[in-house]
Amino acid sequence: MKQEISFILNGEETKAEVEPHWTLLHLLREVIGLKGTKEGCGYGECGACTVIIDGKAVNSCIFPAVEAEGRRVTTIEGLLSKDGSLHPLQKAFIERGAVQCGFCSPGMIMSACALLAENAQPTEEEIKEGIEGNLCRCTGYVQIIEAIKAASGR
Amino acid sequence: MELTAVGKRIPKKDAPAKVTGSAVYIQDLVLPGMLYGKILYSRYPHARIKSIDTSRAEKLPGVRAVLTGATIPPFKFGVYKDNPPLKKDKVCSIRDEVAAVAATDPETAEEALDLITVKYEELPGLFDPIEAMKEGAPLIHEDHVGGKEKKPTNVLNMPWRLITGDVEAAKKEAAFVVQGSYATQWVTHCCLGTSGCIAELDTSNNLTMYSNTQIPYLAQRDFIDALGAFGMKGRRARIVQSVIGGGFGSKLDTYAYEYIAILLAMAVRRPVKIVFTREEEFLATSPRQCTITRISHGCGKDGRLLFREMEMILDNGAYTSWGATTPSVMMLPISSLYKVPNVKYTAKCVYTNNTYSQAMRGYGNPQATFAIESSIEELAEAAGFDPYEFRLINANEPGELTPQKFMITTCGMKECMSEVKKRLGWGGKRREKAGRGFGMASLVHVGGGARVYKSDGCGTIIKVDDYGKVDVFTGSSDIGEGSETIIAQIVAEVLSVPTDDVNVINNDTDVCPWDVGVHASRTTFVAGNSALGAAMKIKEQILEAAGQALSEDPSGLELSRGLIWARHDKEKNIAFGKVLRNIHYMSGGKMLMAEYFYDPPNENFDREFKGNLSVTYAYGAHGVEVEVDKETGRVKIINYVAAHDVGKAINPMLLEGQISGGGVMGLGYALSEKMDFRNGRLMNANYLDYKLLTAKDIPPMQAVIVETDEKDGPFGAKGIGEPGLVPTAPAIANAIYDAVGVRIKDLPITPEKVLAALKAKEKEGGPA
Amino acid sequence: MVRFEYFKPAAVSEALDIMRRFDNDAAYIAGGTDVMVLLRQKKLSVRALISLRNIRELSSLDGRFIGAGVTHRELQKDEHVRKRFSALHDAVCNLGSTQIRNVATVGGNICNAAPSADTACPLLVLDAEGLVEGPGGQRQIAIDDLFLGPGKTALAKGEILRGFRMPEFGETTGSAYIKHTRRNAMDLPILGIAVRVTVNKSDLPCRDLFCGAATASEILAAAGGDGLKCEDVRIAMGVVAPRPIRAKKAEAMLSGKAVTADAVAAAAEMSASESSPRDSVRGEAWYRREMVKVLVQRAFVKSIDRIVRPDGEVYPDRLW
Repeated sequence: MKQEISFILNGEETKAEVEPHWTLLHLLREVIGLKGTKEGCGYGECGACTVIIDGKAVNSCIFPAVEAEGRRVTTIEGLLSKDGSLHPLQKAFIERGAVQCGFCSPGMIMSACALLAENAQPTEEEIKEGIEGNLCRCTGYVQIIEAIKAASGR
Repeated sequence: MELTAVGKRIPKKDAPAKVTGSAVYIQDLVLPGMLYGKILYSRYPHARIKSIDTSRAEKLPGVRAVLTGATIPPFKFGVYKDNPPLKKDKVCSIRDEVAAVAATDPETAEEALDLITVKYEELPGLFDPIEAMKEGAPLIHEDHVGGKEKKPTNVLNMPWRLITGDVEAAKKEAAFVVQGSYATQWVTHCCLGTSGCIAELDTSNNLTMYSNTQIPYLAQRDFIDALGAFGMKGRRARIVQSVIGGGFGSKLDTYAYEYIAILLAMAVRRPVKIVFTREEEFLATSPRQCTITRISHGCGKDGRLLFREMEMILDNGAYTSWGATTPSVMMLPISSLYKVPNVKYTAKCVYTNNTYSQAMRGYGNPQATFAIESSIEELAEAAGFDPYEFRLINANEPGELTPQKFMITTCGMKECMSEVKKRLGWGGKRREKAGRGFGMASLVHVGGGARVYKSDGCGTIIKVDDYGKVDVFTGSSDIGEGSETIIAQIVAEVLSVPTDDVNVINNDTDVCPWDVGVHASRTTFVAGNSALGAAMKIKEQILEAAGQALSEDPSGLELSRGLIWARHDKEKNIAFGKVLRNIHYMSGGKMLMAEYFYDPPNENFDREFKGNLSVTYAYGAHGVEVEVDKETGRVKIINYVAAHDVGKAINPMLLEGQISGGGVMGLGYALSEKMDFRNGRLMNANYLDYKLLTAKDIPPMQAVIVETDEKDGPFGAKGIGEPGLVPTAPAIANAIYDAVGVRIKDLPITPEKVLAALKAKEKEGGPA
Repeated sequence: MVRFEYFKPAAVSEALDIMRRFDNDAAYIAGGTDVMVLLRQKKLSVRALISLRNIRELSSLDGRFIGAGVTHRELQKDEHVRKRFSALHDAVCNLGSTQIRNVATVGGNICNAAPSADTACPLLVLDAEGLVEGPGGQRQIAIDDLFLGPGKTALAKGEILRGFRMPEFGETTGSAYIKHTRRNAMDLPILGIAVRVTVNKSDLPCRDLFCGAATASEILAAAGGDGLKCEDVRIAMGVVAPRPIRAKKAEAMLSGKAVTADAVAAAAEMSASESSPRDSVRGEAWYRREMVKVLVQRAFVKSIDRIVRPDGEVYPDRLW
């Protein structure tokens, strides 16, 4: 039986009817239609599905949709400003070659975003810890780490 | 002349869509009326199918079609045509497809699979290729015959054999000879975006495949063959590529699931989407070819290599794909990595009940180079040479014709090796701490296309619109590495327009010209030259039209930054846009359009596997400093240097991305990645137990670009897609030997193997 | 098809009520990082999920009590945990990934009772006492009595773990947890070793030896002469038995003895003999047994290091 939940999605009051067994990822992609968040594994092992919930990076593929009730959820689509300009992280990822196939990029950027919100000037070790739960097969992480450093102003 | 686009660190054109989540991957694509397909896989690695009951599945609400091997037309795909998309009488591996369902949503399709009852009669499984080669071994494919006598056998009719010079004579002459056995494991691409497709038939049964393929035109041909077999001969097949979530060779062949999607679409008369789960991706895509190698190397007292002999056994798995052809690429380092006048190489591919392999970045080169570059250090040690000096003595050089008839044009091998030595501090601070060591390895790979098919060509069509915006239609595909951007840079350079004004269309076979595919690191070289050729033609047309407008001889005109002017009088000029509009807004108007098909002047192998496969060859060297924890066997990478001869860096930023990405993939290959098959079953079909490196695992890495300016490459460039992980494993194995005196000869180099080797060495009385 | 109802009680009593209503055919879910995976793998089939995520009384964290609902991330950032329960700090720093730690709870980690649960060995050596509540009321259970086998705890069906009462440890007690993995993030341990040591004195002239780059036994040998005595010790091992276990014979060997390289090495050998590792997909038995010997010594040295250099942490030149 569906439950109605109400939460803040990318800054907007949002209502949705969710089945108890739905993951937040399913709700975002298949019901609400925000396809930016990706499913890489479905088990919380790759981070492609990372969104920010109440300021913390979370794997949405293993987060029950019903638990979004009353929370603030931000997806990759929420990083663009109202006037369409890119978030500093998005700019940095583009400019530093941190995007190849791009499948890991939304989740990677959200993890980086959560990190920088909590720690504005992370060291390289802290950056690595911030994205340790995000797998990338294309870049070898090097340019991703550089991009996050650049976005942090270091 | 100062370059304005080529050589610049220009961001990838598709990056903005990707970082905002608006790029459309196959996972994101939805077509009206679309149904979802799911596949039921075999329960056993080797069994007869006694019966399949699909009645309960068919009755499940939401299920629209259920197919089995018995209900589809007879058809086999693959390079050996031994692979039916749904297996009928027999299953030969745990990834065999037994049934398929199309339903209104993925969950219903999944539930329907559970309602299909398959009765099997289990058969004894063969999981060791050496066992499978023996007389009297059970046959994987009962009707397969081979050898001169055409006897039933599990050994494929692909007798790979390369002989240059006279190895037997060289053996007698050699002052030092070493022998060794090496083995490499199955590893898999692990693309973050799993495989998938949507098959759609129109009312005339023309097929559109929304696909992630790396070989749109070859896949098109495969699907047309399939349509013919399915009763739809003469129909069209169109491939539309969605944004790919990773390639690395995983999409270099067609897969059963694609034919299944077509069959389901036929059955339901609606588009059918199949997307793999992560477990399916591990289980049912084809990994890197594993190898068992015996190698022997010999040299003279002066350190010059005299011969190299290699024998390989390849576990071909249950069906045949490109894994069986990797020896053709392995021949490249085997015959031509360093100067070695006498070479003998044989390889056998053997059917087993394991998974089957296809292409993965390097296509056999990493496997062969692991054996070669490890063995060569054993030889250097036996002959009393420092490993670096030994390599220098035997290094390849520009202008060399190798015994396999590769014409080496530019060759940055020595420069790359020198960079490695310098940046690692090799020879200077060796072993400042117990447990630390240095190691290196070199590589050679094709860098100017590779004529593995009869064609190595790529077509480009360019048109320019009334506003100076350029559209480039290329047959090549972008698999994430940025070839789209490279092509734009090349065209932008020739036409002197901003890269942003060049739009590249590369994903629709109805619109784009022909290309043989994204493989062999050929795209920058071949597609780049193709785009360059078409751009030059367009430039000619523009100058001709401008010449008419200005009443000037076109050869006296300059084109730059949106303006065309007469060299002798800058006042005589016309804006780019105006020239273009003038061309068709007149009587007898013309269009500005050019096409160019570039097929590189390389050769197919002759019957002896000799011939100049590529126009130019890419070289490189990797060096590493490791620290081995002697109590646990864990290996830490202290420093890593990857130097690559790339001809010319068209986009240094993207190039560094290839080197870093390849390097980290190589580290995984060397140290931690392995598909753990036990009795034909995959034990680690997930991201937790299959050990990809995380951000916390990467060492300090230096990517070094060496430019040798290859005259036949576009602006001097050669390929880089694959070289990045070719020498990683042997460099690390060599460094571990330097550090603690043990040589691990089978990958991955796990802590267990290192510790076991250290303990064995201690027992023998060697110093720790 | 996995179908269930989902409840979000605000109090433990409410959660227990729902469980009783479903006659125990329900499962508790906190952070969900284990339960959601089990559901997806179809290894869990229940009529209801009862979420503990929003029950505030389970999230208390102070020097003497760790609520079951406290996330690993909260533990990671807590200063008291870092200083006084260092082994637990080590465990939560390297558990899963940042995303996992943000939602996964220590209670969930323990109740899921995987032999590889990272918080298990630290809590074992820290003498944690579980506080459990069920339909019959509350009861205490020592952590050592909590683990019964792979995936099995001494919790009765429907009981909820409220949290752990922790002892008070002083300046002469230190602990460490070493998780032996193949990669540096998102990994389960090949094996895990936790040690807690209480010694007779915390100021040692040779304190800097403990962060040196030598092997554990070399460090202990060099530090041996200074009259350091082990007053109390706990050694716990994970993934080398069907449940996380203490090496009690090894503990008895060291308790009350002088800290020397030989004594610690002997205790490490004894620990290895008390373990019963298996060959599994994740590691080989012989290797696990060898690593017990090595890691017990290393964890011991790290524990002492935390006593003698409470503010020092980084070992740039050392591999462990």
